[in-house]
Amino acid sequence: MRKDSTTSRSQSTPQRGAPGGNQCLLPRVIALVAVGAIFGPLGLPAQKSKPREFEVKATYLYNFARFVEWPTTAAAAKNDSFPICVLGQDPFGPALDTIVAGETIGGKAVLAKRVLKPQGAVSCRVLYISSSEETRLREVLAGLDKAAVLTVSDIPQFSQRGGMIQFVQESNKIRFEVNLASAEDAGLTLSSELLKVAVLVRKNSQPGD
Amino acid sequence: MFRDYSISKKLTWMNMLVSGAALLLACGAFIAYDVISIRDGMVYNLSMQAQIVGFNSTSALLFNDPHSAENTLSGLKAWPNIVSAGINTLDGRAFATYQRGQSSQTPAMPPILAGQVETYRFNRSEVVLVRRIVFQDKPTGIVYIQSDLEGLKVRVAQYLGVAAAVLVSSLLAVVLISPVFRRAIGEPIVHLAGIARIVSRDKDYSVRAKPIGNRDELSVLVDDFNGMLSQIQERDTALQQAHDELEQRVEERTKELATTNKELEAFSYSVSHDLRAPLRSIDGFSQALLEDYSDKLDSAGRDHLERVRRAAQRMSVLIDDMLNLSRVTRSVMRREKLDLSAVAKSIAADLQEAEPGRRVEFVIESDLMAVGDSQLLRAAMENLLRNSWKYTSAHPCARIEFGKSQQNGKHPFFVRDDGAGFDPRYSDRLFGAFQRLHTATEFPGTGVGLATVQRIIHRHGGEIWAEGAVEKGATFYFTL
Repeated sequence: MRKDSTTSRSQSTPQRGAPGGNQCLLPRVIALVAVGAIFGPLGLPAQKSKPREFEVKATYLYNFARFVEWPTTAAAAKNDSFPICVLGQDPFGPALDTIVAGETIGGKAVLAKRVLKPQGAVSCRVLYISSSEETRLREVLAGLDKAAVLTVSDIPQFSQRGGMIQFVQESNKIRFEVNLASAEDAGLTLSSELLKVAVLVRKNSQPGD
Repeated sequence: MFRDYSISKKLTWMNMLVSGAALLLACGAFIAYDVISIRDGMVYNLSMQAQIVGFNSTSALLFNDPHSAENTLSGLKAWPNIVSAGINTLDGRAFATYQRGQSSQTPAMPPILAGQVETYRFNRSEVVLVRRIVFQDKPTGIVYIQSDLEGLKVRVAQYLGVAAAVLVSSLLAVVLISPVFRRAIGEPIVHLAGIARIVSRDKDYSVRAKPIGNRDELSVLVDDFNGMLSQIQERDTALQQAHDELEQRVEERTKELATTNKELEAFSYSVSHDLRAPLRSIDGFSQALLEDYSDKLDSAGRDHLERVRRAAQRMSVLIDDMLNLSRVTRSVMRREKLDLSAVAKSIAADLQEAEPGRRVEFVIESDLMAVGDSQLLRAAMENLLRNSWKYTSAHPCARIEFGKSQQNGKHPFFVRDDGAGFDPRYSDRLFGAFQRLHTATEFPGTGVGLATVQRIIHRHGGEIWAEGAVEKGATFYFTL
């Protein structure tokens, strides 16, 4: 999504300068072109390769939040900030912090938080459950106790196991499944726009698994 | 040329031109207004569609699902005028596209300036609208929609058709209605012009223009025209009457005058004629007395008798002159062309022959022609030249001229001498019969000559006047 913005920038600079082809301006134009050619690629952090998987996922975490409505009674609603939390071993590195930096949702500043225990995640808006927690997933979900927290994870069959949004890989693309019933149980409202782009939307809660 | 068209034709043309121009302007304005509002409407519709497409494609953009965006875009099939549409990512990469046909290309998109949400550009055959997709105050992508202008073109074509139909039918209506104008304005004016022509050509003031029933200016014009004709006719009749009356009166007077004049002339002729018989007796018996009884008369007696005879002869000359004068007035004029110079030369020759002892130089301009009665003009010339001859007799040598001069735009003939002349104070008495400025002892004469000349000149419709001074000669001018 953000790729190659630097390339287009370095091309557009000389194009903008050229039509002013006045004799006395010409040296300055050349200088500008040179400066653009040198600093253009350096002006922004270079991201030549495709965004790495977890950068995309970090962006998705933020974007999921924008399509969800939390109940006003939610514990998280009392916060002044809008925490997006990571439980377990953090796969994002600094990417999540970078992406949410300066963003707001519903007037509240988005910030990334790391939590150690599910109990500590009750006041989060979004909780990413790291694959490291796969073995004790049941505990984690139980610990949240249907708190109004949007749970997201890479853990296989997460959406079948009571999680709300599960990342899936589909032909080199990151997509997701939604368990609408889990979200509704937690009092969350997911926008139809979000459901529209989901690979799969599970509507019935599937107890026992 | 339009200027030479009849009033009716002009009215028809004017109506056609005015209504045609008004309709063209009105149609043009309507079409322009409608094109603008249709364009605005198109832009509004495209904007709405772009907003809907953009809103519905937000999640697709955010979660990188072009398929979903294409689904959304394919909804645009419902609008057949949309040629192509698409969604681009913020960095300008094509994310999803929609094409109505097969061969459509991505259109050239106008750039959205900073601070703008939307922009559009019309070209000859299409309009492209570009709009930012903004989700929760954050720019997310760009949507564009390209539409053809078929709807606009069809609408304009319809309008042009309607405008042409209205134009043609209204011009037809004008042509159909024009007889009404012709009857109301053209025909009365044409009729009035015809009457005016009859009046001015035939001087017939009895004709009248057909009155119009209504109260407009034309009707007033016709009524006033008729009124004027009536006035002219009345005045004409009155004038004719006065003229006839006057003519009759003049005729009567002339008849009276002629009778009186004839009586008077007959009287004076008979008097003159009858006076000669006793005169001859007086002269004859005086002569007999002188011859038969001269021995019985002393010298004083003989002298008295001589005086009686001279007086009688002088009276006889006077009577002859009077008869001549009346003849001048009575004789019938025969106008012909004659050479006054030749007349003057022959008279001058006669004069010189009669008195060869005198040294008089005649200067006579040649080839002066005049039209008049040859006998009368010859008499006038003879009188004038003889007059000059007589009044130069006191001078040892003299000069007499005849010629043509120029005075106050007139070209009078003149007879000039350098003789005794006259006192200009009495110049008005020069031409009176029996009026003389000199005594008979100075210059013999009866005072009838110049009076005769004046009558001859007046009978020819001319004028005569004289200039002169004592001992400086005299000049007589006359026109014919």
